[in-house]
Amino acid sequence: MAKIEVRDCVFSYDDKIDAVKGISFDVQEGSYTTIIGHNGSGKSTIAKLLIGLLEKKSGSIRIDGMELNEENLYDIRDKIGIVFQNPDNQFIGATVADDIAFGLENHQVDPSKMDEIIQEYAKRVSMSEFLAHEPTRLSGGQKQRVAIAGILAMQPEIIIFDEATSMLDPQGKKEINELIYELHEKNHLTILSITHDIEEAVKSDYVIVLDDGKVIMAGKPEDVLMHQKEMIDLKLDIPFALKAVNELKKQGIQIKDTITIEGLVEEICRLK
Amino acid sequence: MPIEVRKLSHIYNEDTTLQMAALNEISTSIQDGEMLALIGETGSGKSTFVQHLNALLLPTSGELQIDDRIIRANEKATQLKSLRKKVGLVFQFPEYQLFEETILKDIAFGPKNFGVSEEEANQLAAKYIQVVGLDLSYLEKSPFECSGGEKRRIAIAGILAMDPDILVFDEPTAGLDPKGAKDMMELFRELNQKYHKTIILVSHDMEHVMNYCDRVIVLNKGKILKDCSVKEFFKESDLLYQLNIDPPSILKLKDALRAKGFQIDDDALTLESVAACIKKEVRS
Repeated sequence: MAKIEVRDCVFSYDDKIDAVKGISFDVQEGSYTTIIGHNGSGKSTIAKLLIGLLEKKSGSIRIDGMELNEENLYDIRDKIGIVFQNPDNQFIGATVADDIAFGLENHQVDPSKMDEIIQEYAKRVSMSEFLAHEPTRLSGGQKQRVAIAGILAMQPEIIIFDEATSMLDPQGKKEINELIYELHEKNHLTILSITHDIEEAVKSDYVIVLDDGKVIMAGKPEDVLMHQKEMIDLKLDIPFALKAVNELKKQGIQIKDTITIEGLVEEICRLK
Repeated sequence: MPIEVRKLSHIYNEDTTLQMAALNEISTSIQDGEMLALIGETGSGKSTFVQHLNALLLPTSGELQIDDRIIRANEKATQLKSLRKKVGLVFQFPEYQLFEETILKDIAFGPKNFGVSEEEANQLAAKYIQVVGLDLSYLEKSPFECSGGEKRRIAIAGILAMDPDILVFDEPTAGLDPKGAKDMMELFRELNQKYHKTIILVSHDMEHVMNYCDRVIVLNKGKILKDCSVKEFFKESDLLYQLNIDPPSILKLKDALRAKGFQIDDDALTLESVAACIKKEVRS
């Protein structure tokens, strides 16, 4: 079943030029879906439309079968959590524990149970030792983990990551990528990740390619990402394994196209 | 304009309860024309270090020598102006620092501040807008009409117009898409090779470090953990895993092929050279 269903969605920031030009796509329940596209293609606008931070001009957005509108905006926000790009812009609490508590307080969770919930989710993102820490004493990756803990505490069904690792150092990036993958694999959450990292798209279940506010391609990574000419025309990166295939062909080795390093190694072994 | 760093320490909030040693007796030297990557986790001291290079921060102890200028603790600020002209520091998101109504004025602002005549400053603006890959028509535009990548180029042109010998870039590709990031890295390579600038790049992107730099310094808790050539740094992925860094794809491929019994040269860091190693071992 489609957890998110977007149909003919149009949005404009200034009422003159549409930033989103009649987009339709589905995100399946329990899937790890990635959205790729260069800066200005409309990726982040879509994330904001999905959580109702921006209001569409026309078309429909259904989350879990519910039409997103003013009446059920808050019911829908209970189902969706979003992690933004800049870890400093979403840390609200004075300490890690306060930050995780923020959403719970808003939802009038029984204060006697709060502590237990905070501890549970801090543990989930490996931040138990830092509950009393102030944000200034945390790395970017740690702040993003706290943001994720705050979202998990609300028990959402969908988490949107809007370039959530792009401002992190390599250590932070690795931590968050591993955590996202785990939330998908173990907790079966529906993940929608907006990313520039083509290798993340390779690992996902479904890829949506955006350009100029329109969906250009959508499908399984092994179908979509193989279209290298289109990808290059859209100023997008192509998967590393495909670049390696191109180089091998250039040096006269006949080899099948593939987008994963595992697949590439398998193909190379076959030639030995 | 070589840089010598001798036992440089920097302590924030010294003699208070918040005291924190950000740099701890660092010594190194950087030669003219190097393209050096400075890497390390958040809080490792990278930003503190680069701010010493043009004396935005002064050492708590130890010293730096840049050309014949020595920077020590308690240096008088008035003597530092000429140094700031020689070392251009480009912070993260430099486009936030654009402020003039036209791009021409924005680029000419720095040279004029250093006593260059208006006419000459305008000529410099015309020269450097082209060096960063934009045409002269941009000069009369407002910087705020431009895309993120263009704004960043304009901010860099403003620094270049002061003709620094050493350029320090702090995460210059953060927030750019892959195409924008690649174009930016190509610009730095050109500044290094064609204009002979020393480039110090604070970067989190290992692909960029591997493909564009000659040398890597790894900072960890205010100390130099590793200082070596790029070739040596990426020779094997073990060091990267120790540093909790996901290795570049090419290293993952080399590891996977080696595990299957392929002989791949340590030095092979490009797809071309790795493919050549593979070619030797497969039937044609």
